[in-house]
Amino acid sequence: MERRCDPVSLEVIRGAVRAAQAEMEALIERTAMSAFIREKKDFYTALFDADGVMAVGSNVPVFGDVCGPVFRDFPPETMKPGDVYWYNDCYGSRGAVSHSNDQVLLAPVFHEGRRVALVMAWAHFADIGGLRPGSISPDATEIFHEGIIIPPTKLSDQGVVNEATLKIFFRNSRWPAACQADLRALLASVGLGATRMAEIAARFGADVLADALRQLLARTEATIRTKLADTFPVGTHRFTDRIDGDGKGSGPLALRFALTRTPNNRFVFDAEATDDQSPGPVNYLMNPDVPGMALGLFLLGGDPTQVTNAGGPRAIDEVKLREGSLLQPRWPAALGMRGLTMMRMLAALNGLVAAAGGPAPAAHAAYVILLLRGLAGGKPFLMSDGIGVGYGARPFADGTDAVYFVAQENYPVEFLEAEYPARLLRYGVHEDSGGPGRHRGGCGIVRHYEILAEEAVLAVRIDGVQCPPWGVAGGQSGRPGRAVVNPGTPRERVLAPLSDGNRLVRGDILLIETGGGGGHGHPFDRPAQQVLEDVEGGFVSAEAALHDYGVVIRKGVLDEAATAARRQDRPAAKAFHRVSYADVLE
Amino acid sequence: MSSNRPRDLVVAIDIGGTFTDIALQDLASGQSWTAKTPSTPRDPSEAFLTGLRLAVEAAQRDAAEIGRVLHGTTVATNMILEGKAAPAALITTEGFRHVMEIGRQDIPRAANLFAWVKPKRPVPPSRILEVPGRIAADGSELQPLDEEAVRRAAARCRAMGVQAVAVCLLHAYANPDHERRVAAILRAELPPEVAVSASTEVLPVIREYERSLAVVLNAQVMPAVSTYVGRIERRLEEAGIAAPLLLMQSNGGVAGARVIRRAPATTALSGPAAGVVGARAEAAATGIADVITVDIGGTSADISLIKGGRIGLTQHGHVGGWPLPLPMLDMVTIGAGGGSLARVADGALTVGPQSAGADPGPACYGRGGERPTTTDAHVVLGHLPPRLLGGRMVLDAARADAAMRTHVAEPLGMSVHDAARGMLTILDHAMVGAMRVVSVERGHDPRDFALVAFGGAGPLHGASLADLLGIRTVVVPRHPGVLCAQGLLAADLGTEFTRSLPRGQATGDAAIAAAFAELQEQARAWFAEEAVPDAARVLSPVVLMRYAGQGSELAVPWRGAITTAEADFAAAHRGLYGFDLPEGTPELVTLRLEARGRLPAAPAMRLAPGTGAAPVGRHVLHLRDGSRDAPLYDRETLGAGDGFEGPAIVMQFDATTLVPPGWHARMHESGVLLLTRP
Repeated sequence: MERRCDPVSLEVIRGAVRAAQAEMEALIERTAMSAFIREKKDFYTALFDADGVMAVGSNVPVFGDVCGPVFRDFPPETMKPGDVYWYNDCYGSRGAVSHSNDQVLLAPVFHEGRRVALVMAWAHFADIGGLRPGSISPDATEIFHEGIIIPPTKLSDQGVVNEATLKIFFRNSRWPAACQADLRALLASVGLGATRMAEIAARFGADVLADALRQLLARTEATIRTKLADTFPVGTHRFTDRIDGDGKGSGPLALRFALTRTPNNRFVFDAEATDDQSPGPVNYLMNPDVPGMALGLFLLGGDPTQVTNAGGPRAIDEVKLREGSLLQPRWPAALGMRGLTMMRMLAALNGLVAAAGGPAPAAHAAYVILLLRGLAGGKPFLMSDGIGVGYGARPFADGTDAVYFVAQENYPVEFLEAEYPARLLRYGVHEDSGGPGRHRGGCGIVRHYEILAEEAVLAVRIDGVQCPPWGVAGGQSGRPGRAVVNPGTPRERVLAPLSDGNRLVRGDILLIETGGGGGHGHPFDRPAQQVLEDVEGGFVSAEAALHDYGVVIRKGVLDEAATAARRQDRPAAKAFHRVSYADVLE
Repeated sequence: MSSNRPRDLVVAIDIGGTFTDIALQDLASGQSWTAKTPSTPRDPSEAFLTGLRLAVEAAQRDAAEIGRVLHGTTVATNMILEGKAAPAALITTEGFRHVMEIGRQDIPRAANLFAWVKPKRPVPPSRILEVPGRIAADGSELQPLDEEAVRRAAARCRAMGVQAVAVCLLHAYANPDHERRVAAILRAELPPEVAVSASTEVLPVIREYERSLAVVLNAQVMPAVSTYVGRIERRLEEAGIAAPLLLMQSNGGVAGARVIRRAPATTALSGPAAGVVGARAEAAATGIADVITVDIGGTSADISLIKGGRIGLTQHGHVGGWPLPLPMLDMVTIGAGGGSLARVADGALTVGPQSAGADPGPACYGRGGERPTTTDAHVVLGHLPPRLLGGRMVLDAARADAAMRTHVAEPLGMSVHDAARGMLTILDHAMVGAMRVVSVERGHDPRDFALVAFGGAGPLHGASLADLLGIRTVVVPRHPGVLCAQGLLAADLGTEFTRSLPRGQATGDAAIAAAFAELQEQARAWFAEEAVPDAARVLSPVVLMRYAGQGSELAVPWRGAITTAEADFAAAHRGLYGFDLPEGTPELVTLRLEARGRLPAAPAMRLAPGTGAAPVGRHVLHLRDGSRDAPLYDRETLGAGDGFEGPAIVMQFDATTLVPPGWHARMHESGVLLLTRP
């Protein structure tokens, strides 16, 4: 009989595993070299049970079955202490990795000769070759344009690192030194994680640890199943959302989701009606575990005693995806700009909850990325700048203003100017971009650059211009972003929101505005005092306060009588809003 | 100076939420006295003076003999934690009004993206004013400062009626000229009671959001700290004390009132720092220089590490959830202490962070608390005898039992004793996790350290925490519950001077020596301001290094040569992270000169030799392997060298020490109780 883990040990193990994870992350943050990892913090860690099932993940709901692809080529029973496995192969991993820049390292953990766990370190590498510096580009049309592909590979065999493989990898990067340091950081991180997990196994015994991980999974799954049943009545719930397009002339492209709860409480997620895959790189090879992971994260809410793990996907009994669709593209379609589709997918899942009458947030905008590459002082540079957006308003709070995503930070102005041939003239909140509502959608960001490089080529990715993030329960959609060169001058040029090859020269001014999130509830129900504070803070203009919220502000002072009069004439609202109100979004 | 009497007395005052503790010491004889008086939250300086008088009376001395007044203050800390700081404005560079609002544009790693609500900034965007003028990353001026705009901003600050104005301009760390000019104009234009603080006066480092936050928090606490310090100075004057007032800073050093008024944010961890300095002194009295300290209070536990007598410092600290990159005690705080509540949900048991607080308090206090706390778990297991020494309070064991049974044991189907032990196990492991952060994660093996356990609940947990970490020595200070006042007596003057090296600038040994020479000039001025005699001045040059491209630095001592520093850095990188990068380029980022002004110390006191430990009673302990009758000792009756085996309980006025089976207790001649195990 295996030893069970008692509730006390379970809590202790949960704490110890979380601590190991925090330590792995701190190591990556302090030792990695590329700004993408150390400033922007595009890295994650996770812990799996002996069979590769995610027991403790991160709060980023876009991870699928990470270990499966490795097990296929390297059966778990053949793994040895000191082994480290590596891949970035999107198609080879069924979308566990969904663009090639993300490198995944996995290490098995042993205690007394028995495999007790696996640990993962994951980070976005700034450049791994491909068509353009930065490896992802709106111009890519094949996965081969997006850098070197590493199939599941044994990087370290019982502690002996395969340096030849690494040499090939580094040789394929335009910035090999950063690549090298980043890989060392990931290797050290999984090594540290394996040590810590082995210590935990030694402290509690392999059986108790195994049972603890099993219980963590079972708890999450049970909680999510209960909450799914509370949220979705028996029947089929549908929601459709759209991305603007692929930057190559296709679009808008629809994500069509259906979630069915059968009378015997099976949950079936069906995205087969989603539009076909696209020539441009907006295809999102979605691992079948992702919908459960993402819905699970929403349903768990902020409960600190729960952990995000494979309990989410396990709560969904069946996932139906159609090969050849935007969410299950056929090899070798390009994937590099999948971020915008992924963010829209998260909003559409919340849309399912909203369509079922649940307390879902309105839609968020997809974070914006720009890649500026060129020559400065005769030396090549790459600036990959991620810019925050507005998130959707919630039934209990405004949408979050000016954030990128979980755990991903900005390049501080002072860092950016010291590091790159660009100067920032303005960095602020994008006024009036948040969708009006009783709870206002979060506002996007304005970032105004002066180009100091002799010459540079810009890629930009902004979605939600034609199909902005929807509002719900009377709230309105967020307002879109844009990219403009030399605004307000005779040389003004509005850039295609998803485009590459935009040439900039020294002295050009680049204005990026990012989109806001959808609002929640009727804007005329927002307390006038809050609207006034929004106006004072630069989130809402006085004109929008009048037009969208029915709040009259004259010279900075709230006119309560005029506001009350204006709010008598309340526009009719419907369940959803995208540019205009609708009962169902198509 | 007016008096010719020797001013050999030193007084330390630690103001807590409930009590104000005073420690008085005669530097000539080493003799010391303590006093306790209820705190006076409305005007804490009242209790300050009352306590001071009590201590002077107890010592039968004259206040005029006091030569130094040391004080740990929580004024700034509480204002930051409670978000009650003064309404402030921030002046910043044109185009960057929303830097504070955007922060690092992230949803925190541990947060749920759908549930997270961004915390309100200490200053709303409506009170952030922009002024034209621009400095570049290399420190050159791109656009002159628009002084008229600064005057207009000053007028708006006056109109808004703010009590504090912070200034943070882009790249001021590289060139503070504009910032200084803005501050000068504000000081000239605004009424004198409005506090003005410029970011480079507080923290001349890169990254505008963190620096803005530091200067805003600093400015916001300036008026209150200034008023507070002023009141205390007046009280001292009234009492006929002409001694300098020295306040504890977050870095474990004290500084004069003038320095603190300028940079009050440096006192954010004043209270905990005093405790850690005290812990260092207690350990040093027994000849131990490497310790992990754990201070367990009612709602939280603070953990830090001291290596070779040096307190671990960090530049990446947080106060009240805000990053505050000032040099401060490298302390990990967890939300678990004596008042932490147990919770059972979905078959899982958690302890804290919710706390029963002082009211209603633990169930055993009998003041209406129904849910079991850590203290109740100790009562259930017999660790805390029902009648605490001093007779201040009687603990109701039946209520503790009932709470444990109803809320933990029955829902989880375990015995009341197992439930109580389970709570303590979870709490101990949470603390061990934090202790591993300051030790293992910083490249230290905890087994090479002793543990100093203090705070009201610390000595109940010391031995079990040591067991979990493989530590064999636990130091229980003389007065574990009031260590902060003792710590103040042991403090030295301390501060740091830093200078960032511009990127890519060619540096050689000579250039670095020259830069350090400039910092030494600043240090000399500071020594003079604090009246530190030459013989008491200690300077330690340190360089912060990283591999080119990394974002985080390691501190290594500067020994005069870059090659040496590079080797030290590679070794530190290996020690801390497990690898170095032979192909990488080591880079010197910042020079730091740590300045200490040693204050005269009293001779060590010796406890009279004991005549053998004699129990004052017995009490039943519920141990894992069964219940046992264990002796109770009164710490006051133990003399030097007295020792006994666990299980045993040692009672004293301000704390209770648990000596588990397998542990040996011995009174050290310094008065410290040492717990050891083979």
